[in-house]
Amino acid sequence: MRLVEDRDRRKRIVINIFVLLVAFICVAKRSSTLHQTSTFENLLIDSFAPLQNSVSTIRTNVANFFTHYVANISASKENREILKQVSDLESRIFDLNELEKENLRLKNLLEFGKGVGYKKVLAQVVAWDASSDFRVLRINKGLKDGVMLQAPVVTSVGLVGYIYRLTDHFADILTVLDNNNRVDGLIQRVRAHGIVEGYSSEKSLMKYVSRTEPIILGDVVITSGLGNIYPKGIRVGGVSKIERESYGITQYVEITPAVDFGLLEEVVILLAEGDEQKRREWEALDQMEESDDASAKLKRSKR
Amino acid sequence: MRGNWLNLLKPLGVTLLILVIFEVLSTALFPMMGLIKYRLPFNVLIILYIGFKLENPFVAILIFILQYTHSFFSIEGWEMGTIAGVLIYVVISYLKDLLHLSSSIMTIFVTQMFQFLWFLIVSTILYIKTDELSYIIEKFWRFLPESIVISLLAPVLFAVLDVIWQSEQQSALGDSV
Repeated sequence: MRLVEDRDRRKRIVINIFVLLVAFICVAKRSSTLHQTSTFENLLIDSFAPLQNSVSTIRTNVANFFTHYVANISASKENREILKQVSDLESRIFDLNELEKENLRLKNLLEFGKGVGYKKVLAQVVAWDASSDFRVLRINKGLKDGVMLQAPVVTSVGLVGYIYRLTDHFADILTVLDNNNRVDGLIQRVRAHGIVEGYSSEKSLMKYVSRTEPIILGDVVITSGLGNIYPKGIRVGGVSKIERESYGITQYVEITPAVDFGLLEEVVILLAEGDEQKRREWEALDQMEESDDASAKLKRSKR
Repeated sequence: MRGNWLNLLKPLGVTLLILVIFEVLSTALFPMMGLIKYRLPFNVLIILYIGFKLENPFVAILIFILQYTHSFFSIEGWEMGTIAGVLIYVVISYLKDLLHLSSSIMTIFVTQMFQFLWFLIVSTILYIKTDELSYIIEKFWRFLPESIVISLLAPVLFAVLDVIWQSEQQSALGDSV
């Protein structure tokens, strides 16, 4: 009996150490700015994400049901028929209003950046990240819709973030509110540079702005185009707090993003026309590296 | 719950299903209802249960599987949660004689304590990686309400998991009540 317990204990210690070691190695190697999904991950995310999508659809339908029908239960018997008609008409008006608003939103989204040489893919937000540590949105467009990793995501009012993780039918956006997302920004009025970094669920910080820059509250921050992810000139937000000390070389600048993330329903993914070519170039380089490795191995084995 | 690896498959499958349902609700339903700032970490609660109640050499692998499933819903990944989960499991194995989940109040209290430990471990790793303290302080203020809600839910969810893992006869931390 004691022998079995000792064996179990030894097995437990070995498994614990092994799992911890693997986890430590993976956490050290993990990139906070980009995540390439494996085929297995791809398959599972694509299986779970439709559940998230359907839950949000069910919620909307249930809310509509309660708004339009349950309120009428207390109506008097005589007016039931009339109320039903009114309710039906109201429901229709509500639906039409929703459609009109949606059309307007989509039109604005599609008109955004007309002059910019980008292909636009419209997507709907289906879920948020499971951990409150990350400000990540899941959208219902993926690789099959032409979306690419690190593609910038915007709305008609400003910058949302970029594509961090991608599967065939869904994608995760690392928003500008996330601590891991850094955008090279420009104060539009004074052309001062800084790095916009996520800070909380409502604010971002603009770091490394020189103390001598005459920034004022309400100044608009736009993307500078540096960093090879975001195109130049997209509105990031407005300056909402400035702290300038008499010492130091930088000032504390807080930004309120232009996009209201609490009300976000649809987004636009910008795909640069040159991205496809860039992707092919990377693939060609990867293939070259692989063939170099293979020929080196062959030479070694011959020796 | 002693036994071989095969005996764990069925309860593990049901637990994963529960985790997926909770994750879907937490990521799709609650944010759409306006709860954007906070997210309930059901994965932490389930892993704490596994640590508290299971007597099996494969617990570390179970923790890894639960965290890996969680990573499909969060870019957090499985690594940090697995480290925190396994370390907490080791701590629990040393404190077994001192801790008893014999009442709801005790379950809530002990769950809250171990959530603090979880926060401490994850924050330390994050600090080592990012070298940023302000982010951890901000994280702490979000952690407080989230962890309190999770602790309050613990007695109910633990009772459900007791049925799934058939560990009610062991009660608390392996002792009979």
